[in-house]
Amino acid sequence: MQWITLFQKEMLENWRNKKWIWFPLVIILMAIMDPISNYYLPQIIEATGGLPEGTNIELPDYTPSEVIMMSLGQISSLGVLVIVLISMGTIAGERKSGVSELILVKPVAYRNYITAKWAALIVLVWGALFIGLLASWYYVTILYGSLAFGSLLLVVLFYGLWLTLVVTVSIFYNTLFKSVGVVGFLSVLTIMLMSLVTKIFGRFLNWSPIHLSDHIFDMLMMEQISTELIATAIITLAITIILLTGSIFIFKSKEMAN
Amino acid sequence: MTLLTVSNLTKVYDKKAAVDHVSFTFQKGKCIALIGPNGAGKTTILRTLSGILTPTTGSVTFADNEKNEDIRKWIGYLPQYPVFYSWMTGKEFLVYAAKLAYTPKAEAEKRAVELLKKVGIEEAGDQHISKYSGGMKQRLGIAQATIHKPKLLLLDEPVSSLDPIGRREVLTLMEELKQEMTILFSTHILGDADEVSDELLLLHQGKIVESGTMAELRKKYQTAKIELEFQHDSIPYQAKVNAMASIESSYVDQNMLHVNAIDITQARQDILHVASAENWPLTSFSLNRASLEDMFMKVVKR
Repeated sequence: MQWITLFQKEMLENWRNKKWIWFPLVIILMAIMDPISNYYLPQIIEATGGLPEGTNIELPDYTPSEVIMMSLGQISSLGVLVIVLISMGTIAGERKSGVSELILVKPVAYRNYITAKWAALIVLVWGALFIGLLASWYYVTILYGSLAFGSLLLVVLFYGLWLTLVVTVSIFYNTLFKSVGVVGFLSVLTIMLMSLVTKIFGRFLNWSPIHLSDHIFDMLMMEQISTELIATAIITLAITIILLTGSIFIFKSKEMAN
Repeated sequence: MTLLTVSNLTKVYDKKAAVDHVSFTFQKGKCIALIGPNGAGKTTILRTLSGILTPTTGSVTFADNEKNEDIRKWIGYLPQYPVFYSWMTGKEFLVYAAKLAYTPKAEAEKRAVELLKKVGIEEAGDQHISKYSGGMKQRLGIAQATIHKPKLLLLDEPVSSLDPIGRREVLTLMEELKQEMTILFSTHILGDADEVSDELLLLHQGKIVESGTMAELRKKYQTAKIELEFQHDSIPYQAKVNAMASIESSYVDQNMLHVNAIDITQARQDILHVASAENWPLTSFSLNRASLEDMFMKVVKR
């Protein structure tokens, strides 16, 4: 009951500050950029002045799976930054402004306060991811060939886990620091370090959440869900739960005024 | 009936005690003023009682809390500079605050409308809080602090930032709220404390230096001073006054003659008798009741 109240407030806030409009639009834009630009590349080159007579460019024929992966690639880089951007102030900002002082003197359970904020962000991020990849899928089917809708849903499901982790990392830093900038910086830094460590020790970290998209690509190619994908998904989920639980404990032990 | 017991409350910041072994008890239905200069620890005490801060040592105990429940449900708190979600309307914020304190939705809506009216911002109830003035925010702050019918209302400088009209209205509102709940409010404006509070706690450098009802403190710090003001220079009258048996000493300050009496009742009689017999050009005669200011200065300097 109290959780629902907190959750509804977050949803209403995200609606009133137009996050529910611009964030999905940004994700759609990122998702359809590569499918469209790659398809029309020859026409684009011609329209921008063309190349000398006799130049012969062979453009690779992309498979629908490869193009969907391009969309994921865009969301992995730029999309993650935008997710950090929309989530970095959710608790830190309220503490900084002082409004949390009014809220947390009410008998609000800290776990409700944190998980309601987390859930509202997850709904927003998953909603945008779904709409974005749906748009990408639409262009892929028209321009490159068919891709089963079921496969698309699986991509959303597994890739959504990675974005969930990104949101959770941001929530975690939100409970640690009051400065919105610090939260944003550390969240991005953490994700970059995770990626770096995975690249260096890749052979040993096959189940690192960073590898989710690789395993998703394999899934599309092989048309079956590998055990690596399942294992990586479980690891991602586990880290998410640990971080979220940790956030609640940190928040409980903190004094709200400081 | 005791509502709350605070014992040996201490809050240390950077090795400095902002609140230093403070103990007191609250009786139900009283209005208590926490008085002290800036930095005396008023806000720290209020924040600790509200549960925002955890005491370094000491405890805050509600008398009725045998089951050791979350005390926040019995507390309403208004910070000195309340900040709201500016994208909400005043009414939305009140309903939200009430629901967070487990008030059912229908009841919350009803209370929100009532309180908006009570604090005098009912026309602004459907406006976004971003459009509210400082005074309106202060009123909304009081409304949100009382919407869940707390037993203890904590107000941090509730009237200091208001204009004279707003100040008067909020003080009247506090008089009303006093009937329903115990109020603890901080202020550095002594007149406000004098006006609405039943009891006073004087705070200085984190310690309670004096406490009691207004009458008790008045009595304790009463001075035996009389002030005479003359139309012109008061020097010619000083000797005559000093000659009276009831007078201890006096000093001249231009047209004013400040008199320290041994027996204030006798001194008044003596002076008025001579003054009327000799037709002194008096413009004012005042028996100095100890003002809260004097009292405060005395206590602090002690």
